[in-house]
Amino acid sequence: MAAGPMEQFAVHPIIPLEIGGVDVSFTNASLWMVIVVATITLLLTMAMSKSSMVPSRLQSLAEISYTFIADMIRSSAGTEGLKFFPFIFALFMFVLFSNMLGLLPFQLITGGAFHQFTVTSHIIVTLALALTVFAMVIVVGIAKHGFRFLTLFVPHVPWYMLPILTPIEIISFLSRPISLSVRLFANMLAGHTMLVVFGSFVVGLAAAGGALSALSVIPMLVIIGVTALEFLVAFLQAYVFAILTSIYLNDALHLHDH
Amino acid sequence: MQDIETTEGIVVPGEEHAEGGLPQMNAETYASQLFWLVLTFGFLLVVLSKVALPKIGSVIAARKDRITGDLETAERLRKEASDALAAYESALASARGRATTLADEKRKTVNAEMDRLKAAADAQTQTALTEAEARIEETRKRAAGHVQQVASEAAADIVERLIGEKVSSADALQAVQSIRG
Repeated sequence: MAAGPMEQFAVHPIIPLEIGGVDVSFTNASLWMVIVVATITLLLTMAMSKSSMVPSRLQSLAEISYTFIADMIRSSAGTEGLKFFPFIFALFMFVLFSNMLGLLPFQLITGGAFHQFTVTSHIIVTLALALTVFAMVIVVGIAKHGFRFLTLFVPHVPWYMLPILTPIEIISFLSRPISLSVRLFANMLAGHTMLVVFGSFVVGLAAAGGALSALSVIPMLVIIGVTALEFLVAFLQAYVFAILTSIYLNDALHLHDH
Repeated sequence: MQDIETTEGIVVPGEEHAEGGLPQMNAETYASQLFWLVLTFGFLLVVLSKVALPKIGSVIAARKDRITGDLETAERLRKEASDALAAYESALASARGRATTLADEKRKTVNAEMDRLKAAADAQTQTALTEAEARIEETRKRAAGHVQQVASEAAADIVERLIGEKVSSADALQAVQSIRG
């Protein structure tokens, strides 16, 4: 089939399944969610299987990610934010491994038999994660401060600025799940599309023959650069997702008094 | 019942892309994606919060405790060592002080003994000197007495020979004594 740059994002059913009239087929997207979760679980279990005082390489990797996220939460949401440590850690790991595993060229390794897929390149997934965070922030905020949670929308400014700034605060609060989900989704979409587009340049130029074939080296070099960049983006977006979650939680926990 | 519709509801690949739309915008996949996301992410969350994270946390905490404990032990041992050094130094100082005191006392007793012996020797010498002086004086006096007697006898003899007159020895002695003054 003609593999357009968007082909890689297509969702194909593997095992058809329906519950209560809703199509919940096990698709390649579902498969990759399972792969992501299994990889994280296996890595962490293996890392801690022989937990020792002097850690092995894998164990120190697990410990480093643990302290990395714990420190991040502590610095942005305080010790109170550590209540949400498992959730934020799971969120970070899920996004990170989705992003990273989607970059591995399984399609090349398996000769096209098995396609890589990036779970987080789908807006529905990132939006679901972002809305979970959003809902959690509201629930935590109301549970902790009750009606006073609404003062989050009243910034510390002279009173005559409030008619302007309060609606802005409300809009910015409501747009959080959108910006949070679109940021991750768009980054994954753009990066992967770019890789495939340059990949098709390589193939096209090489097939053109003559002097043009030699030119196919140029998009190949670009792919190498972009791939390196995408690995950075993959990590960065997972980090951004996690740190924004802790910052939003900080708002809910401490309102303006931080 | 609804099983028949199931197969019809499944997304067939290729159809959507033919229209040029993003696969991400195909709402028919949303239910499935959300369903499996809840399952997989929920599983991950449970495994992490119940098993993996507590284990990592406990290992890190145990290491921290161990390091703190080791540091405390090291600090305690260091303190013990410095206490021992201080005790040794104070013992050394007191021993040195006692040695000085002992030496001083010994010197004092030796000096006193020496002074005493010297004084005794001095006193003995003085006594011997005094006795010797007394003896010399006595001898001198006795010698002087002999001289007077010899002189008075000689004077009596001389007077008898010159004038033939006998002079008593008492007079002669008196005369000699008066001359000598």
